[in-house]
Amino acid sequence: MGKQHGDHHDGHNTFEVSSKVSEFEILELAIRELAIEKGIFSADDHRKFAEWAEAKGPHGGSKLVAKAWSDPAFKQRLLENGVEACKEVGIDWLQPTGVGTPSDYTYFYVLENTPQVHNVLVCTLCSCYPRPVLGMSPDWYRTPSYRRRMVRRPREVLAEFGLHLPSDIEVRVHDSNQKSRFMVMPMRPEGTEGWSEEQLARIVTRDTMIGVALPRADRTSDAGSLAEQVR
Amino acid sequence: MSEQARPYAVLMEALDDIGERTDTTLRCIDHEPEVWESRMQTTCECLSKAGVLDNLERRHAEDRLGESIYVRFPVQTRSVLTVAHTLMERGLFTEQALRDKMRSVRARLEEE
Amino acid sequence: MATPKFQVGDKVRIKDRTTLFHTRTQKYIRKRVGTVVEHRPEWVIPEDEAWDRMETGRKEPFYVIRFKQTDLWPDYTGFAQDTLESEASESWLESVKG
Repeated sequence: MGKQHGDHHDGHNTFEVSSKVSEFEILELAIRELAIEKGIFSADDHRKFAEWAEAKGPHGGSKLVAKAWSDPAFKQRLLENGVEACKEVGIDWLQPTGVGTPSDYTYFYVLENTPQVHNVLVCTLCSCYPRPVLGMSPDWYRTPSYRRRMVRRPREVLAEFGLHLPSDIEVRVHDSNQKSRFMVMPMRPEGTEGWSEEQLARIVTRDTMIGVALPRADRTSDAGSLAEQVR
Repeated sequence: MSEQARPYAVLMEALDDIGERTDTTLRCIDHEPEVWESRMQTTCECLSKAGVLDNLERRHAEDRLGESIYVRFPVQTRSVLTVAHTLMERGLFTEQALRDKMRSVRARLEEE
Repeated sequence: MATPKFQVGDKVRIKDRTTLFHTRTQKYIRKRVGTVVEHRPEWVIPEDEAWDRMETGRKEPFYVIRFKQTDLWPDYTGFAQDTLESEASESWLESVKG
């Protein structure tokens, strides 16, 4: 399995082990400390938010999808009221401030893929992203290249991710330009009959919930698909 | 909005450390965020909440600066460069103050 | 709560208003015709929210509008059934006859 994609990886190799502190680590901390010294925010504000943000990742979303695949009644509740259904798996959209994060709003809709419709997310305006369920957005999601082209040439962009959809499927792009945040619920793939929710959650990767990949019984990471493709 | 067309030297000096941007497709721009990257996103949220640098305004500045004067940097450095650039430009702190602070942070971290 | 002026299934055109102020209605959907597919809750419109007028700002119903990609981009390279959805507040919409 290819860990050898360092060349394509911003020159920031994973196998470069060094005790040297990175300049960016220093730069980040310097900015933060200057801001705190100027009284713009407090160290405590930062710590509280960081704790919340760092506990987040795509696992919340994976859990939602796996549960919905396993439990039709939950799936119904999830599609009808995303924010409420999230509470059943311990995700509260009002955290960490009581009104959500400054840039996430509290309207959450799950978009169900069907044999006829494939959904995919973008935010052309900035990079709105359903952080309470998916964590931090990937870097490419925030690039102007993705944001500009996904609305205009979605099938070409999807093909770059290795996703070639048949001509009889409707590709439906969702521009989350206003209050709502979205997440894609992919279709349960073949070969997963009888799997537990935990097993299922492992194949529901971040990219499948953005809509740039489809889940597969033999794939548990987005990085894996990247390595396969680069080779 | 007037924006300094020149990059700050203190920021350009960090390029060697991370290396030039090499991605050619969107799919190449993917990596596990490092701790400083998520801490930076948190700093961005705090700045936005404090009304100092609004998230949407910052994103637009990231697009502008990241595709122009800081185009050689990998994409994941856009927030930190843009925030530093914008705060210096607005006079929240000077380039010298940032340099001094970085020196003291470096000394602290390397000692640990 | 104001009653939404448009119903699911209505054809609407996005107005081409000047945007001296902050807006979240993207340029590429202006002047385009789409179909209302869902209602969204009322909210302070971004044009006011940007000025921090969350308490006093104007509230409007929001809608999800679905566009055919071929209506948005004359040179669209995908297939005829492909679509795009975006949200807009009521004052950005005008009704299209037929």
